[in-house]
Amino acid sequence: MRDIFTEIWESIRRNKMRTCLTGFAVSWGIFMLIVLLGAGNGLMNAFMVGGEDIATNTMQIGGGRTSKPYDGLKEGRRIRLDDRDVELTGGELFSDHVDQVISTVSTSVTVNYGKKHFSGLMEGNFPARQEMEKIEVRYGRFINEKDIRDSRKVVVLSENQVENLLGGGTRDTGARFATLSFGSESGRKTDVASLLGEYVRIGTFSYRVVGITKSDRMSDDNLFFAPYTTVKTIYGKGQEIDDITFTFHGLDSEAENEAFEEQYRAAVNLRHRAAPDDNRAIWIWNRFTQNLQMNKGRNILSTALWIIGLFTLLGGIVGVSNIMLITVKERTHEFGIRKAIGASPWSIMKLILAESVTITAFFGYVGMLLGMIACLVLDKTVGQSTMSVMDEQIAMLVDPGVDLGVALGATVVLIVAGTLAGIFPARRASRVRPIEALRAE
Amino acid sequence: MLIELKDVNKTYNNGQPLHVLKGIDLSIDRGEFVSIMGASGSGKSTLLNILGILDNYDTGEYYIDGRLIKGLSERQAADYRNRLIGFIFQSFNLIGFKTAVENVELPLFYQGVGRAKRHQMAMEYLDRLGLAAWAKHYPNEMSGGQKQRVAIARALITQPKIILADEPTGALDSKTSEEVMQLLSQLNREEGVTIIVVTHESGVANCTDKIVHIKDGVIGEIEDNREHRASQFGVNTIMK
Repeated sequence: MRDIFTEIWESIRRNKMRTCLTGFAVSWGIFMLIVLLGAGNGLMNAFMVGGEDIATNTMQIGGGRTSKPYDGLKEGRRIRLDDRDVELTGGELFSDHVDQVISTVSTSVTVNYGKKHFSGLMEGNFPARQEMEKIEVRYGRFINEKDIRDSRKVVVLSENQVENLLGGGTRDTGARFATLSFGSESGRKTDVASLLGEYVRIGTFSYRVVGITKSDRMSDDNLFFAPYTTVKTIYGKGQEIDDITFTFHGLDSEAENEAFEEQYRAAVNLRHRAAPDDNRAIWIWNRFTQNLQMNKGRNILSTALWIIGLFTLLGGIVGVSNIMLITVKERTHEFGIRKAIGASPWSIMKLILAESVTITAFFGYVGMLLGMIACLVLDKTVGQSTMSVMDEQIAMLVDPGVDLGVALGATVVLIVAGTLAGIFPARRASRVRPIEALRAE
Repeated sequence: MLIELKDVNKTYNNGQPLHVLKGIDLSIDRGEFVSIMGASGSGKSTLLNILGILDNYDTGEYYIDGRLIKGLSERQAADYRNRLIGFIFQSFNLIGFKTAVENVELPLFYQGVGRAKRHQMAMEYLDRLGLAAWAKHYPNEMSGGQKQRVAIARALITQPKIILADEPTGALDSKTSEEVMQLLSQLNREEGVTIIVVTHESGVANCTDKIVHIKDGVIGEIEDNREHRASQFGVNTIMK
């Protein structure tokens, strides 16, 4: 082993410039592969943020507008969900799959604290909501059963909202920060927790702040929570509700989900005298199928990136192969000597293959390292920035980078690539005929 | 007999078939010092390549020490070359980026001898040829005579049955040529190494004990030259 590396080192040392230039192409190929995959991962992670925080087996239902006439009624009629839809969802008909059903009501309000205020959407909610949406409460607690039973006037605000009330100035949360904001969220200037237990005024009533939720870049900063019964009582809309969320089980494939959705839609639509197949009368957000599709998209993207990366790498491999051919040509005489004094064809072949794999692997690893550094740099720069899209804060990249699996995969790719690059020149070298090689001088 | 050739024929088929060796019969015994002499185109190089297992022949039989050398795989041919034959070339054929001692070690490397052992052996052989001080030098730092002595050390290190020397003095001046030929005959006399020298120079041939003349692919006269009187230019000189 040591001998073969000595030989390789001798050979490379004689052609430093050439080897480095060739190696650069390989480094570049792997660099591109790693950066592409890393950025791709970051992009996918950005899409998944929020998505991954929510239990995947939930569906959310909201009212829409009918798109076709039915039962003597014209299209374009607005459908409003109500309590009986909740009963229907939780009832006999869907009991095979539906577990827990909750509904929400919401209303736009202005929240005042001292001289500060902000306007937002107060959502009347149930304790179960926290689990379903994986809402992270930083300080205090979420709405509990007692709040619901007694219709207590309590609210759970988000960190950003509290910061607004405490001193961030009167800021309408509808108007966003600068388009791109660098810096992390942890650097809060105010002691957010100090608002816990304090009272804020909403409309004519005072509400006690019982909990503060984490604000991340992806969450809707407009929204805060109050007990369902409280909102319903004060801003009573009769039986009307805004949306229904339920968890389900036993729907494992996309086809099963579609069948269930179809059935469910028909049942709810008929209650509202809309065509059973009118898929605009109510909206269904199925997190499970969304997740499936997201994963599918993720796989397609990463496959595409691998292919692009590998093709970039291919250029490097061709370069190595080319340079190895030249090396073999230059060393024909030497190989003739070696063979005359007893080198077997395989030992010559091994020499060239090992050199090719060494060059590819070494420069490949350099490229991989640089690629990972580039991913870190991406994480520290673009990864910290957000983009304002349609009034939503969207992180462009979240945790870009590649995992160990990709690094191992790339290692295999490099070794295979090095072997492929070397195989043709190595065969040529092993076929050198000593008589001709020795005569060539 | 160490070497036996029976009716060996070789034809090159490069466009027009060229019958180079036309039934060569030759026997060389252990410990002989033989030269094969002929003009260029006489077939002596082809004969040398066949003797050195560098080339195949078409018909006939070639035995080294009773072993039939015919239709060998490349790997086996390499192994035989490594163990049975030591080569000395006109242009030395040392590997330029390896030091003298590394060059001498190389045949042992292909035998799978360990690093330390082969280094020690190579140093021994270099020492015997008076080159121990030059062990760490590269070929381009040495004179022609020194290079040829490194090559001789390389040929000897595997203790082969035969040393094949192809025009060993072709690239040397007459004084160095004489030294190299003396070295070879000394090796033959004192250690009993079988040496076959291929040359077109009568002076070189005269240093050997037996001269095989080859002409147009057939063996002509086989001259007994133990008296070393074959050279028309006088005893113990190599005329250039």
